[in-house]
Amino acid sequence: MLTIKNLHASVNGKEILKGIDLQVRAGEVHAIMGPNGSGKSSLASVLAGRDNYEITDGEVWLDGKNLLDMSPEDRAREGVFLAFQYPVEIPGVSNINFLKTALAEVRAYRGLPPLSAKEFLKLTKEKQELVAFEAKLANRSLNEGFSGGEKKRNEIFQLAMLEPKLSILDETDSGLDIDALRIVSDGVNKLRNNENAFIVITHYQRLLNHIVPDFVHVLYDGRIVRSGDKSLALELEEKGYDWLKELYHSGALQTS
Amino acid sequence: MTLQETTSLYSQLLEAAGSMTPGDGTESISDLRSNALNIFREQGFPTGKNEDWRFTSLTPYTDTHYVPGGASPADDNIRQAISDTAIPGLDAYLLVLVNGSLRPDLSTLPQNDQVAIQSIGNAALTGAFQEYFHDKTYTGADALLALNTALFTEGCFMLVKQGAVLDKPMRMLHVYGAVENSFFQPRHLWVINRHAQATVIEQSVVIKGGNALSLTNSVSRIVMKEEARLTHYNIQQHDAGERWLQYSRVSQLRGSRYDNFMISLPGADLIRNNLELSLDDTATESHLYGLYLVGNGQLTDNHTAIAHQHPSCQSNEHYKGVITGNGKAVFNGKVLVSQEAQQTNAYQQNNNLLLSEHARVYAKPQLEIYADDVKCSHGCTVGQFNPESLFYLQSRGIGAEAARNLLVEAFAYDVTDNIEDEVIKSHVQQLIHSSMAATIAG
Repeated sequence: MLTIKNLHASVNGKEILKGIDLQVRAGEVHAIMGPNGSGKSSLASVLAGRDNYEITDGEVWLDGKNLLDMSPEDRAREGVFLAFQYPVEIPGVSNINFLKTALAEVRAYRGLPPLSAKEFLKLTKEKQELVAFEAKLANRSLNEGFSGGEKKRNEIFQLAMLEPKLSILDETDSGLDIDALRIVSDGVNKLRNNENAFIVITHYQRLLNHIVPDFVHVLYDGRIVRSGDKSLALELEEKGYDWLKELYHSGALQTS
Repeated sequence: MTLQETTSLYSQLLEAAGSMTPGDGTESISDLRSNALNIFREQGFPTGKNEDWRFTSLTPYTDTHYVPGGASPADDNIRQAISDTAIPGLDAYLLVLVNGSLRPDLSTLPQNDQVAIQSIGNAALTGAFQEYFHDKTYTGADALLALNTALFTEGCFMLVKQGAVLDKPMRMLHVYGAVENSFFQPRHLWVINRHAQATVIEQSVVIKGGNALSLTNSVSRIVMKEEARLTHYNIQQHDAGERWLQYSRVSQLRGSRYDNFMISLPGADLIRNNLELSLDDTATESHLYGLYLVGNGQLTDNHTAIAHQHPSCQSNEHYKGVITGNGKAVFNGKVLVSQEAQQTNAYQQNNNLLLSEHARVYAKPQLEIYADDVKCSHGCTVGQFNPESLFYLQSRGIGAEAARNLLVEAFAYDVTDNIEDEVIKSHVQQLIHSSMAATIAG
């Protein structure tokens, strides 16, 4: 589904991603871990098309289409979804109108007929239940005055509504208490299927107890320095990142 | 020494005035009008040399020949304008004025034990009219006010009677007919008597022949008696070729509340609104909300002034502007708190969103505070879209254009959300939506 080859990106002339290679197939969940400042969120931003990143080398393909050539909205319409680490508050834009607009544009792009008001309402209700997102929040201004947990749940609610192929969860667990973490994880688990894929970016292993990954990658200094299965996450939880950093700087780690 | 720049309209007006005797028989009004004519003769149309007109020179708009008073459009066209401007779902009274003259046959008016409406020409002879008209502010130095005072012919005098509470809003539709380039000078006087309550929505339409230009120099005086309440909407939805100058002076007595919504949509060549509040008594409350959307080649200028002269009054002002293309906006908000006006609360906020690198705004908050026991604040911002908000919307599949449109509506929300009447609110939001979609796309 997603193929990243030798991806290099920089911000204001400073190189942040220094050659990422990653292959994600339908039905898979990949966790990307790493210490602060290793480039995890940058990778998410580059995939979603945030425009302050300059791509200096490499390629990104989504089901045979060149993602890097597309505007952020076209990437979303093609099926990329970024759950933001810090969802933006937009007073004056109602959550529901925003979703209606987004869904209409996405459906039109995919050649699907627009939903009737009734169908939209039904879908909204169904997805709200799926991610335990309260109806009263849906009718408020987009994220305005939402708690950290409510904002993250809203991200998963939007994800459920837009049914993307590839979802990137950027530190969705940050700022969540145990209950909220469980609700968000349950939502994601219900949405997993054989046709979609998830990249879960996280600093901590605890999210991966709930959303169990097929692969775990460690990002450090703009490179994937180690890949493994879910046991790698447990190893990191136990030993921290320092041993990997030391190995990396000693040249003992072969980067992908 | 003459200061005025002679424009075509200036010469034309003075030539016409020279052969007429200003006034309509009443000695005092006649004097007032000839004095006013002298003020205009001396000053002429304001140019950029006048501080209040620094960014809005009228020379380009007055250097044209205009027919004074215009021509009356056919009734069918007027009826069309009435239906074009209707607010869907709003149950309202309707007052139609054509070139400033009342058209009761096309209007649906409240009972006359509630509201008395008459032509300003007839009213001029009554005592009530003289009481309010003969106000020192009208002999003031403003050239446009003086010009209107000297040469106005039509307008309405509306008196909302003591204790009358209007059960429905009143839509006041000003229709002008411009077969050729035309110049209009309506004059209005509203008195909201003690304990009376009303909502008035003003709209204006020019029915044009071809590309005829129109210039309107309108003056309104609004008198709010004790405990009176008026909610006043100006929905300025205009077209190219239209130039609008509006001066409104509101005076408020004890316990009265005046709410104004100045909604200027993109379209007109020029809009200049002067809104002045004179708080002439204690415990008044005033809310001024403005939204100006300015498109390519357009200029919208809002000058507001609030004079706190007595204790315990509160004023709250929030104007927001969105400027696209090479449009230009001016906001000048003056708040005066004189020494006697203790326990004043006065808040002012002005925010501007520039959507292109050629868009301009000239913003000038002007606070003069001479009392010490007051709460006053003001803030002014000029910015662009928050790129993070734009990216957030785009990342959900919303196209850049639709995303910008949503953000403009969200920006306007701080103003529109204060509209209490849900029907009017949704109409205004719809107007913003459709006009900005057209403006951003265009």
